[in-house]
Amino acid sequence: MRITALLCLLFLLIPFSKSWGDDMEQRIQALENASNIQTETIEEQQKAIEELKKGSDTEKQKSAGVTGLFGSASLANPNISLIVDTFFYSSNHNDGELEARSIPGFTNAGIEKRNGFNLESAELFIYAPVDPYFNLYATIPVTEDGAEVEEAYFITTALPKGAQVKGGKFKSGFGRINSQHPHAWDFADAPLAYRGFTGEEGIIEKGVQLTYLPELPFYTQLGAEALQGDNNLLFGQDAKSGAHTFSAFAKASFDMGDYSTILFGPSVVVGKARNSSIADDREFAGDTTLYDLEFTYKWKPSKARSFTLQSEYLLRSQDGNLTDTVSSTADTLKRTQDGVYLQGIYQIGRCRVGARFDRMEVFRDDYRLSGADQDFGERPWRATGSVEYNLSEFSRIRVQYNHDRSGRDGVTNNEVLVQLIFGIGAHSAHPF
Amino acid sequence: MKKIAMVFVLSLYATSALAKVNVVATLPFIGSLAKEIGGDRIDITVLIKSNQDPHFVEAKPSMILAVRKADILIYNGLDLEIGYLPVLIESSKNPAIQPGKAGNLDCSRYVAPIERLPSADRSMGDVHPLGNPHYIYSPKNIFRVAEGITEVLSAVDSVNAVFYMESFAAFKERFNKKQAEWGKGQLKEKKFIAYHNMFSYLSSEFGFQIKGYIEAKPGIPPSAGHIEGLIEAMKRERPDAIIITPDAGRKETEFLTQKTGVKTIILPRDVGSTPAAKDWFSLMDEILSLLQ
Repeated sequence: MRITALLCLLFLLIPFSKSWGDDMEQRIQALENASNIQTETIEEQQKAIEELKKGSDTEKQKSAGVTGLFGSASLANPNISLIVDTFFYSSNHNDGELEARSIPGFTNAGIEKRNGFNLESAELFIYAPVDPYFNLYATIPVTEDGAEVEEAYFITTALPKGAQVKGGKFKSGFGRINSQHPHAWDFADAPLAYRGFTGEEGIIEKGVQLTYLPELPFYTQLGAEALQGDNNLLFGQDAKSGAHTFSAFAKASFDMGDYSTILFGPSVVVGKARNSSIADDREFAGDTTLYDLEFTYKWKPSKARSFTLQSEYLLRSQDGNLTDTVSSTADTLKRTQDGVYLQGIYQIGRCRVGARFDRMEVFRDDYRLSGADQDFGERPWRATGSVEYNLSEFSRIRVQYNHDRSGRDGVTNNEVLVQLIFGIGAHSAHPF
Repeated sequence: MKKIAMVFVLSLYATSALAKVNVVATLPFIGSLAKEIGGDRIDITVLIKSNQDPHFVEAKPSMILAVRKADILIYNGLDLEIGYLPVLIESSKNPAIQPGKAGNLDCSRYVAPIERLPSADRSMGDVHPLGNPHYIYSPKNIFRVAEGITEVLSAVDSVNAVFYMESFAAFKERFNKKQAEWGKGQLKEKKFIAYHNMFSYLSSEFGFQIKGYIEAKPGIPPSAGHIEGLIEAMKRERPDAIIITPDAGRKETEFLTQKTGVKTIILPRDVGSTPAAKDWFSLMDEILSLLQ
């Protein structure tokens, strides 16, 4: 307080301290000096700028040779893209009913979507070469609950011809849809078979993958993975100390003429299981095997027209004990169930129209508790229709309708989704 | 024992000398240039069909397999293949053609790109910040690309280096002859409307003008308003023709021709688009004679 008062006093005294005329002259002199110095600095700076410009011109000529393969220089910054996936959802069920809507006999997980506006995620995708030996990728979806490392893995680029190792946390090469990112799916949600066997997100595991592409007259990819086994529907974090899941897959592909391609192959994943995802208050411990047969046919005569037919058949078999966590009584559980989806997408110009049919328990519906066969009601099924409009490669609007009878209680869940997907940043790839 | 070993080693050497270099080219004109230089010493696989728009190609498994077998991968660069080539290169599991290796030949390394847009963003459409990638129609740049292909072929397959040099000498002779021939054309006074911004190299080297584009922005189809504005501009400017490639813009140009009376010229997009465009030289012959 005292200091402020003193300062005020000082300022008040200043105008009286000197004669005005002297002061003005001195001030003008000082201003002139200052402006002279400024002009000099400006001149100097301009010179420097021009020199820099010359330098950058020669730099430009040199950098004309920069490769356009991965976009502009990715030394200082990796390639980054952000994908925002948001949708409006409407169902004839209220949010509480949706949450309770599991697939009895398969999974106790309900539907996480809520009536009204939903944000799936804002997903960061980062990638760049590490050195001449590795490429590095990370997928970090940020949801309202926080950020998550969905994928973080390296891929080798310098192993002998045909061999490649992927390691870290990644989407397993099992099946077809499993390794695709949800925003690249042809529908807003995963097929029922995936929801029932692996969970909506699919098999994303920490581990290591080896793939081999032999030099044959047609495309064949062979792969094997050793995985931690965290998937909470098939396996489970606590099933066994250490990695307890292994997978193998093969894919073959032919072109039929210039415009048609087929891709098909089997996959299998086996592992130890301990989880509470079969039914509420029940813990399962035992062994799991999941098989998959995939088939894709694509016809693409031009950029404006294409048709894709895709199907996967999944068969899951589990053997072990189902313990009631409340009463601590245990039953043996042996179950072998299957599921299939078939989907078609027709593209004309910027518009894509899709239809999908899902069915569980197609050929196998064994669910034996201590030897007694269980009946959960009608076989789950779902029919889906969608229309998509892609304003550019980077924005997509999709309207989807699901007639969902996976609740097995004879009640239909009528779902309508209006989904918007936008991508900014590094150019994403167009995989087959 | 020693003799057998010697024969074995010699025969290995012989087969490696006889084995052709496996070249994979993304676009037909690149394949054609490689053929000019490589002749019968190389095997060529071209990934993209001449009527395909290279912006919208998907990485098919058969392409991955082709790149897997490649000794040299030759591509256009300048982001033209950004949608599928990075996937192909990584999935091929072929160390020889990875970026930075001798077998990875980005032809744009030898090109002086025009229309660079260092501060571009996607509100401007499908733009290419590193420069216009359609240097296929630029003789000046194509000559340098052919030289680059010769360098890389000679380095990877040094046994046949002399052959490649000789092929390039022949190419040079043919090129000079053609350049003189093309220079006689009367394109200087001409004005055109184009569908997509892909003829900038051609117009700057042959002196004609492109007065407007049917696409509102590169890669973005035109709106009705844009077309109307274009009709007004065409009535004012009286361009000689609308130039398009067979894969895009037919409908719009038919409408414009009907409204303005300006004719449409369909140019071959790449080598093999028309029966006459057998190689890069005949492609240029056809384009330049169609524009006359």
